[in-house]
Amino acid sequence: MKPENPLLACLALAAGLLFLSPVLYSVWMSFQTTDAYYTGTIDFTLGNYEMAIGQYNFARYLLNSVIVSGLVTVIGLAVATCAAFAFARYTFGGSNLLFGAVVATLMIPSHITLIPNYLTLAKAGLLDTYAGLVLPAISNGFAAFFLRQYIRGIPRALDEAAYMDGASPLKVLRRVIIPLSKPAILSMGLYIFISEWNNYIWPLVAIGKEDLYTLQIGLARLYRVNPGEDIINWPLVMAASTITILPVIVGFVLVERHLIRGMMMGAVK
Amino acid sequence: MSAITLTDIRKSYPGGAQVLHGVSMDIQHGEFIVIVGPSGCGKSTLLRLLAGLDPCEQGELVIDGKRANDMPPQDRDIGMIFQNYALYPHMTVLENIAFGLELRKVPKAERLARARAVADTLQLTPYLDRKPGALSGGQRQRVAMGRAMARECSTFLMDEPLSNLDNALRVAMRTEIKDLHRQLGATIIYVTHDQTEALSLADRVAVMKDGHLQQFDTPDVIYDRPANRFVAGFLGAPAMNFVPADCINGWAGPHNVDVGFRPEALTLHRAPVSGPSIAARVALTEMTGATFIVHCESEAGRLSAVVARGDGLPEDGEDIWLSLSPSQALCFDAITGDRLDHFNTAQRQAGAPCAVAPA
Ligand SMILES: Nc1ncnc2c1ncn2[C@@H]1O[C@H](COP(=O)(O)OP(=O)(O)O)[C@@H](O)[C@H]1O
Ligand SMILES: [Mg+2]
Repeated sequence: MKPENPLLACLALAAGLLFLSPVLYSVWMSFQTTDAYYTGTIDFTLGNYEMAIGQYNFARYLLNSVIVSGLVTVIGLAVATCAAFAFARYTFGGSNLLFGAVVATLMIPSHITLIPNYLTLAKAGLLDTYAGLVLPAISNGFAAFFLRQYIRGIPRALDEAAYMDGASPLKVLRRVIIPLSKPAILSMGLYIFISEWNNYIWPLVAIGKEDLYTLQIGLARLYRVNPGEDIINWPLVMAASTITILPVIVGFVLVERHLIRGMMMGAVK
Repeated sequence: MSAITLTDIRKSYPGGAQVLHGVSMDIQHGEFIVIVGPSGCGKSTLLRLLAGLDPCEQGELVIDGKRANDMPPQDRDIGMIFQNYALYPHMTVLENIAFGLELRKVPKAERLARARAVADTLQLTPYLDRKPGALSGGQRQRVAMGRAMARECSTFLMDEPLSNLDNALRVAMRTEIKDLHRQLGATIIYVTHDQTEALSLADRVAVMKDGHLQQFDTPDVIYDRPANRFVAGFLGAPAMNFVPADCINGWAGPHNVDVGFRPEALTLHRAPVSGPSIAARVALTEMTGATFIVHCESEAGRLSAVVARGDGLPEDGEDIWLSLSPSQALCFDAITGDRLDHFNTAQRQAGAPCAVAPA
């Protein structure tokens, strides 16, 4: 790609560096010894990572985050895709009302549902479990809405052709709608994964056992002044932060090339 | 046993006006049926009911002796070719053709072999690994046909399958479809708004207008003995001329009727003639290849006549006389438009009640 306007290209570069600089700085800092950081000298070490993983159990937190965000993404996408297919293709008694209700959930701030969800899960005995982290997050009104709009753009004639070919509704969903919605589903998946990865309040409320901490909770605990010290160990915090953002970046790179691609070419006409 | 029987089928879309007003048809095994009518007359709607994609509201649909009103599409043994082809864009040509077999659990080796054989018949072999997006319109059309053919169903529904093709390809595909019908021996129900396609393809033509079936008969009967003025005017190009009987000099038939005659039935004269004729002035002539169409103005309105090339052509603006033989004229009720039985017109008194021609 050739930049059409050099001025615009320079501006974009500058903006990119501006956004990247804190991230780059924190990665840089994570490789410094604490002494070097506080004295302003340069002294590379992997010690912060060893400490985060060894002493502070970040490997476990990472695993928890991967499990929880992964499950929320997979199950959430499955639920949202089925709902979107139903809302896009079927009208039944009250279907518009129901869809309106789904959209209306987007307007409810998540903090309002915090206490009711907590009480429900407490009654169900699901606090301090993976299920307690995953279940409240799998119904995602925005994903259902977004995917429904996308599916409505797929010509209905394709469904009908599949029905004529002998498909059941589930086969139509699996063999026609889902492959054709891949860019939208992957975009949505990335969005859900990142939101869940960054989710802080709910794990904080629902989890007490250290074993089940997610990265965000673990990270927040590092901000506390450690026993026997009177300063925050910033290089350690930065190492933990880097561990926290790395999987998201990897995930994005893996998915990104699928995100924007014309899948509809040659369907009809 | 008939392949498909429709009895008084009615349909309206939610919140819309009624689209089909009681259509009845009886279709035999192996017949090539063409449903023809202007855009919006309900042809696609009828086809979708046959396919099972939309529910019938009223009336009965019987397929192979079984009531099929509530039968889902996949149980009907019917293949459909959509107007826009509706190929699966994420599958290759081979996968598109084999998909129906896969859904019917045909083993992989067999379904690929069958799909390849079908592709071969349709000359698609070089394109098996392409996606539909990389095919021309004609090739997509063939894939759509192949997809329906691979399943070897007993009935094919085609909704204006050639309307997106250019003219040369359309004529070529028309012949091919006719050939395929001979080879497959399947029942074909073919929808078009093109009267040439209808007359050239069909064993029987169903003419529709505004959700009513106007006439359902062989192309010969439809052309020679149309049930009403609409059918007479819709089939045949250039279209049939209609004039009030009183405007024809020397007309011996009934009065207070509209007389219809095809442009080929008129003979051009440079001077007044005896027998039924109409005086007119030439507006313009149009060459169509083997023949000329002469458009004229008369006191009865615009008329067209077809004359062979080489016959002395009249100049634009020339006064001419068009004679017609009463045996080729059809009489239509001036108000209802129904064709009146014309064989005895000479003996009938003007205005006497006339029998409506049997469809
Ligand atoms: N899904 C629909 N909802 C409402 N009205 C429809 C629908 N499909 C078709 N119609 C109406 O039904 C009539 C017949 O349509 P159609 O069967 O597609 O005509 P044709 O195929 O003969 O051109 C048209 O007036 C059209 O507007
Ligand atoms: Mg149509």
